[in-house]
Amino acid sequence: MLIALSHIQRLYRSDEVETTALLDIELGIEAGEFVAIMGPSGCGKSTLLNILGTIDRPTSGSYSFGGQELTELGEAALAAFRRENLGYVFQSFNLIDELTIEENIELALIYRRMPKAERRRRVAHAMDHVGIAHRARHYPSQLSGGQQQRAAIARAIVGEPRLILADEPTGNLDTENGAQVMDILQRLNDEGATIVMVTHSPSHADLAKRRVDMLDGQVVISVRNAI
Amino acid sequence: MFATILQTVLRQVRRHPLYVGLNVFGLALGIGVFLTLTLLVRYEYSFNAALPDVDRLARVDTHWTMPGTPPGEVAGSTFRAMPFLREDFPEIEAGIRFEDTDLQTEREGVFTSFASGLTDPGFFGVFGLKLLHGVPDQALARPDGLVLSERAAIRLFGTTEAMGRTVPINRAGVTVTHTVTGVLARRMTPDFLSDIEMLAPFSSEDVTTRFCFRSWASDCGRIYLKFRRRGDIDAVNARLRDFVIRHAAGAEGDHTAFGVHPEKVYGLSLAKLDEARFRDFHVLYAEDGVDRTVINSIGLMGLLALALACANAVNLATARAGLRAREVAIRKTLGASRRVLFGQFMGEALLVAAIAGVLGLALCEILVPEVASLTGEELVVRYGLVGVVLPLIVLVCGLASGVYPALVLSGYRPAAVLAAARMPSGGRGAARLRDGLVTGQFGIAITIVICMLVINHQTDFMRTADPGYVRDGLLIGSAMPGSDLAAQRRMLDALRAVPGVVTAGFGELAPRPGTKNLGTYSYDGPAGPVNVYLLQDTVGAGYFEVYRPRLLAGRWFDIARGQDDVPSRDDMRTRMANVVVNAGAVSRFGFASPDQAIGKIIRSGGWTTRIIGVIDDVRFESPRQAIYPEIILFDTLAQRPFSEPIPAIRFQGVAEAEMARRLNRAWAGILPDVASDFSSVDARMAAYYSGDERRGRIFTLGAAAALLIACMGLYGLAAFAAARRVHEIGIRKTLGATGRQIVALLLGDFLRPVMVACLLACPVAWVVMRRWLAGFDERIALTPAHFLIAVAGAFAIAILTVLGQTFHLARAEPARALRAE
Ligand SMILES: Nc1ncnc2c1ncn2[C@@H]1O[C@H](COP(=O)(O)OP(=O)(O)O)[C@@H](O)[C@H]1O
Ligand SMILES: [Mg+2]
Repeated sequence: MLIALSHIQRLYRSDEVETTALLDIELGIEAGEFVAIMGPSGCGKSTLLNILGTIDRPTSGSYSFGGQELTELGEAALAAFRRENLGYVFQSFNLIDELTIEENIELALIYRRMPKAERRRRVAHAMDHVGIAHRARHYPSQLSGGQQQRAAIARAIVGEPRLILADEPTGNLDTENGAQVMDILQRLNDEGATIVMVTHSPSHADLAKRRVDMLDGQVVISVRNAI
Repeated sequence: MFATILQTVLRQVRRHPLYVGLNVFGLALGIGVFLTLTLLVRYEYSFNAALPDVDRLARVDTHWTMPGTPPGEVAGSTFRAMPFLREDFPEIEAGIRFEDTDLQTEREGVFTSFASGLTDPGFFGVFGLKLLHGVPDQALARPDGLVLSERAAIRLFGTTEAMGRTVPINRAGVTVTHTVTGVLARRMTPDFLSDIEMLAPFSSEDVTTRFCFRSWASDCGRIYLKFRRRGDIDAVNARLRDFVIRHAAGAEGDHTAFGVHPEKVYGLSLAKLDEARFRDFHVLYAEDGVDRTVINSIGLMGLLALALACANAVNLATARAGLRAREVAIRKTLGASRRVLFGQFMGEALLVAAIAGVLGLALCEILVPEVASLTGEELVVRYGLVGVVLPLIVLVCGLASGVYPALVLSGYRPAAVLAAARMPSGGRGAARLRDGLVTGQFGIAITIVICMLVINHQTDFMRTADPGYVRDGLLIGSAMPGSDLAAQRRMLDALRAVPGVVTAGFGELAPRPGTKNLGTYSYDGPAGPVNVYLLQDTVGAGYFEVYRPRLLAGRWFDIARGQDDVPSRDDMRTRMANVVVNAGAVSRFGFASPDQAIGKIIRSGGWTTRIIGVIDDVRFESPRQAIYPEIILFDTLAQRPFSEPIPAIRFQGVAEAEMARRLNRAWAGILPDVASDFSSVDARMAAYYSGDERRGRIFTLGAAAALLIACMGLYGLAAFAAARRVHEIGIRKTLGATGRQIVALLLGDFLRPVMVACLLACPVAWVVMRRWLAGFDERIALTPAHFLIAVAGAFAIAILTVLGQTFHLARAEPARALRAE
């Protein structure tokens, strides 16, 4: 088992209200899986993904990754964990406006100790992989949404992570661009990457190997798709 | 329109108190400091300017070109020249002699000192000062007449209605009753007579007996002349060399003249009074003189403080502009025209500037009395000046801080803004502008801080530098009038008997000397005779133990050796005297070392002396001035009295104030009619340092303001950069950056302009301070420490500012930052 979540709970406290984003999540994910998470807006999908990505901490519960308990790690160790193991794709792309596409992608490697030449090589390779090499020197604002999302995917895969997390990667894209993105994700999964993706599109969910349905902060169904 | 603008500004105050606060208070601080320093500079520039007919007034100065000393201009001249000037130059409309002195009033044995001037009855014909009471032409006509300043009248009588009242004035032990014949009206602008509290006519005895009225070679005051036309001043000035040749020449041995060629050592010139304030800085014994560069630097500092504050406002406004882009885009989509938006933003900037202006004026009102007490000047807020300057500042600051954001914001294409995922930063141009402004701000602040450190170090150094004698535990009295051998002996005995006194001794010179005697001495060296102009002092038994000068070679005087005692005036031609010289004299005469000087014979006129000892240079005068080469004679009081000796005592085991009281009482036992004022070296020399110290304080104030403004700017920018970069930081952290890496990134971005600022500031400060220090004879070396402290301080402050803004940001969970979209 690559990932094991057990009794994961996430509460948000503001002055008066307490929101339970995740109630009690039990979830295991094997290496090489492609999991699609579905559910109505506000049911806790993004929160779950953020916790999987360690950019948010659960209020209680345990999260083990490759046998290592992550909830006990400190800030710096988590940062190191992220840079070695994870790749992210967001609905709103989250590219940095002031950097070129190439620089944005390189950002995922910049926090690792890696020679400049090696970084360049990997960035070029990742851009080829998603087909935006010709836009390397452009700024995000000069690209279409589909191109931006492909750049974001290039950034997610350039570090050759073990787990790719995608939060509604096709949510802001038209059908054609959405299909392209799904194509890339499937290819990555075929090449061995473990992928967890949130989506609202049943057809995109069907392209995954497993489907997890959520409701009010809980996992309700987990089904394996026929291949 | 105005209502809308007011509404927006109020809304911003509520929503962004930090931004509005930084903007308004930064600007107010800059404006307040600028106004205050401008008033101070204006005060300095208006010195003497309000004297009636000042453009036709001049002072007669003396130029000495004596062997062994660099030529120098002295503020003052012999009174001997007065009648000849009137005779030779019909261009002179009026002229008076003036001697600065302290007059003492005496009431039942209690003396009160007043800064005063002795002068001629025609005083008011030259200086048309207004009298509150009395008639100018007659006020000083009576020999017992006395003109009081308003302040002195109030001090003496509690009222300015002092006409006809009597004041007992004590001069050198003799009390003469004067009658108040005039009260000066208070003047608002400063001049060289501002400190004068009493004016009295010279006594006929002064005029007939005192050397400075009779001899070309002696001066005790200044001659002021009023010319018929301004152009006459230069014309007459050009003819003064011939004047000296005509009148100051005399036969060999005539003590009242300069021999056959007076022009070789002596010259006169006219110093225009309206230019005197700054020119006098380079004139000896002109104590009102100030360094124009320093005054201009203070003005510049005010201007820079204002520029810093303006830069801040521009900076914050452009940074804010990015945050408001969305608002603007939406307004535009809803149909606002570019012109309306432009007007709106300019209006906001002007309103903010106006509020800052009012606060700045309030700050100025608070600062001016502070600065006045720091500088000792009578500074007041002048609304005539402020009323013109302030609206101008507000307009300029408002326009400067409004125009860029207004242009940029009103020029945004709404589609681009709304389509962009995040708030725009204003583009690379704005980023460069912001960096440039931060660089400029810190550059200026660091320069000012370095200057402040150096100036304060130098003034501190002057106060504490080794003066060549031990100044702690030393008290110095007033000069004893006359040369009464018995009285001098009794005085010494009386002072030595005071409990707490270790030793007492006489000298004719003391820290901050009054009269000085200088004479030419010559040494027959191997390469021919060497002439050196030496300062002469005569000291008595006990002097060495009191002052404790450092003996470099030979020995000090010995009371047991008859050769050491200075010969009586009759014996001077026949008997050799032993003398001690200072290190300066040794090098002027060209002796290789102090030891080489021992035993050498030096002559003056028909008199022969032998050097028996060499002491290190002793500083009795301003640290700006070079120490004179000096010759010291010894007087045991066996037969020859001192001329107006100054007693000095070394004490132990008693508090200084108590010691001074005891000594004053002992003095009164011998000379009850002469005011006594035993005071410390520091008190006597204070006037030499006070100008530099005051200006040091102004620089400290300016430096603090500049630094504060620069920090406010940086703080604001850091806050905005943090707000603008929340999202970017979230992404970077998601990609594996640690909190420390994020802090380092943000710090790097901010410290780069600060570093450039340091690189620019250091050379500028170095050049400026080297020039300033060159004006001191005794000065500190410019060390890297001054620069390092300022640079380290700037970095520390910048780092703290940025850390304060970014630390929590760098630590936050990235998910929150990404959600904050
Ligand atoms: N930072 C937060 N503060 C308060 N409530 C939050 C926060 N983040 C998410 N929530 C709440 O948690 C619940 C789950 O949110 P989220 O995981 O974003 O839902 P979704 O399934 O649409 O991605 C929602 O009710 C949301 O309002
Ligand atoms: Mg979501």
